[in-house]
Amino acid sequence: MSQDILPAEARQAIEKLGRADIVIGIPSYNNGRTIGHVVRAAQAGLNKHFPEFRGVIVNSDGGSKDDTRKQVLEAQLDPSQLLLVNTPLNPVHRLSFPYHGIPGKGSAFRMIFQMARDLGAKACAVVDSDLRSITPEWFDLLLRPVLHRGYDFVAHYYHRHKYDGTITNSIIYPLTRALYGYRIRQPIGGDFGMSLPVVETYLKRTDWETDVARYGIDIWMTTIAVASGFKVCQSFLGAKLHDAKDPGADLSAMLQQVVGSVFSLMIEFKDVWMRIQGSRDIELFGFRYDVGLDPIAVNLDRMIQAFLRGESDLREIWSLALSDRTLRQLAALAAAARTSPAEQFRLSDELWVNIIFELASAYAELPAARAHLVRSLTPLYLGRVASFVNETRDMNASEVEDRIEQLCLMFERLKPFLVERWGGPRVDDYIPQPAPASGHTQEVPS
Amino acid sequence: MIETFRQVLEQSVARLSAQATQFLPPLFVALVVFGVAWLVAILLRWLLLHAFKGERFDAFLRKTGIGTMLDHSGRLRASPLLAHGIYYAILLIGLLNAISVFETEITREIVDGVVHLLPKLFAAAAIILAGVWLAQYLGRGALLWASNEGFSWARRFCAFVRVVVVFVAIVVAADVLNFARTVFFSAFLIFTIGAVCAACLVLALNHREVYRWFAGSRSPGAEEQDERSLWRHL
Repeated sequence: MSQDILPAEARQAIEKLGRADIVIGIPSYNNGRTIGHVVRAAQAGLNKHFPEFRGVIVNSDGGSKDDTRKQVLEAQLDPSQLLLVNTPLNPVHRLSFPYHGIPGKGSAFRMIFQMARDLGAKACAVVDSDLRSITPEWFDLLLRPVLHRGYDFVAHYYHRHKYDGTITNSIIYPLTRALYGYRIRQPIGGDFGMSLPVVETYLKRTDWETDVARYGIDIWMTTIAVASGFKVCQSFLGAKLHDAKDPGADLSAMLQQVVGSVFSLMIEFKDVWMRIQGSRDIELFGFRYDVGLDPIAVNLDRMIQAFLRGESDLREIWSLALSDRTLRQLAALAAAARTSPAEQFRLSDELWVNIIFELASAYAELPAARAHLVRSLTPLYLGRVASFVNETRDMNASEVEDRIEQLCLMFERLKPFLVERWGGPRVDDYIPQPAPASGHTQEVPS
Repeated sequence: MIETFRQVLEQSVARLSAQATQFLPPLFVALVVFGVAWLVAILLRWLLLHAFKGERFDAFLRKTGIGTMLDHSGRLRASPLLAHGIYYAILLIGLLNAISVFETEITREIVDGVVHLLPKLFAAAAIILAGVWLAQYLGRGALLWASNEGFSWARRFCAFVRVVVVFVAIVVAADVLNFARTVFFSAFLIFTIGAVCAACLVLALNHREVYRWFAGSRSPGAEEQDERSLWRHL
């Protein structure tokens, strides 16, 4: 039984509403400038695409100092502009409550999920509160696969600038794909649709007050959905334009929370991912089209300097996780980088995959050093991003996607070595099993 | 002259003979006791080395990082550690029993001293071990923070943190052992107060220069927070 974390006012609202078919959750913290647009889009989406359902929009706020909650409650939508074919049978309710617990997106989601469960919602969608490109169609694409096609978890699929989402492209997507066998392109996209069983699975867990409470929540949700055998799909939502993410956010802490969550779940779902080899596509809904994207500036020298600084300062910590061979390769790379132009800097796919796999293994082996190990990844990650920028400087979006595909295949090719390190069969004895079809029930360790 | 010499010699021989008859049997017994203890120690060490696997203790040493702290190669294992520990403990017990056979004032004092000191020695050793572990842990945390923030003095800062933590552990261990406690405690107070006063003076008199040095010690580009904040890593 999950712990009840709802504030009294939320409990009263649930009693008053009784039940709902759809819950749309919007976590927020000082998003007064943008959240009104997101709420209007959600309301329009419910009116336009789900007129027969009872919908509730829940804002879970982290104690905003601005007028975020007021914007949610006062957001007005002119239904005549929507050119509705069907008149909505039920009004869309808007609620806004502060959540309690560790400040972060995960804690906000926890309150939303609890409300969705207590209202008996058939489907729940969560979207960021700083989205500028959100439209009512997003909710159709996030909710319809759950309501009408029997899917349990819908991930956001969207176009991004080639230098946007570098944690996703260099670590999270290839690693999640290699581990669990599903090609979910944006596993930490931030906007998801899910069924009630998935919501209940999340709420039953006891690790809410870990890194999951903050940046780790997205990958936590995706991983649990795929590792628990729920039926997953993706929906194409165009481009995701939003405010600069967490200005001043500490990259090191961000990496620690996201990568730490992946590694922690690797320990929990060891019996699931060790059996899987290769990966398979999953259903993609929505009409794909090209979009213009915000350009992103990168500072190559800064990233390479960070890598070199890490190479000279953090060898002691790296040596806890990385093999002598990997350390020698990094030393050689740093020596070359000190004498060559920044544009020639390259950190190979194989070396990068070995770094991630060796760190993941050490993370499982050395509980006392976990925070240090994941934080020591920062300069390595910046080195990898610098290499990626150099390699893809003149590439278009499609070529960049091919380049990311190559990296994913390298993760999959070297996975038997990871399995061996984790106590599985030796590389030569490893009998691969293809990734199961989405929704195939897997044996999940209790 | 010859008579005197003969008398001295006879007295010496008599005294030696008396002492030998007094001390030889206990010495023999002491040697036997120590020898038996040594044999038992060897036997137990052999048994532990061959029979005791200690996989859980190995895992504990590995997971906590104590293994690599004590032996950088990381090859430290529970069975040799325990076997050697018990070997020396039995040798020590044997030695104390052997000494106590003589039943003299001085041997009683030695045995009592060691028996009273041993728990304190263990406590002090545990404090030093914990201090070194904590110094390593906090030092690594400091190193990571400073390096990721782009400070050029990251390793020096790490060394400073380690020295301070180990120093605190030594002060506490000396206090437990009642060994020069005033000296260590005074040194610690002087060190701490001196460091705080020096830092305050430097900040008060040269705060602008300190800020410039602090900012300048970051690597080029590290100050570009705006650019960093616009970067959407996730």
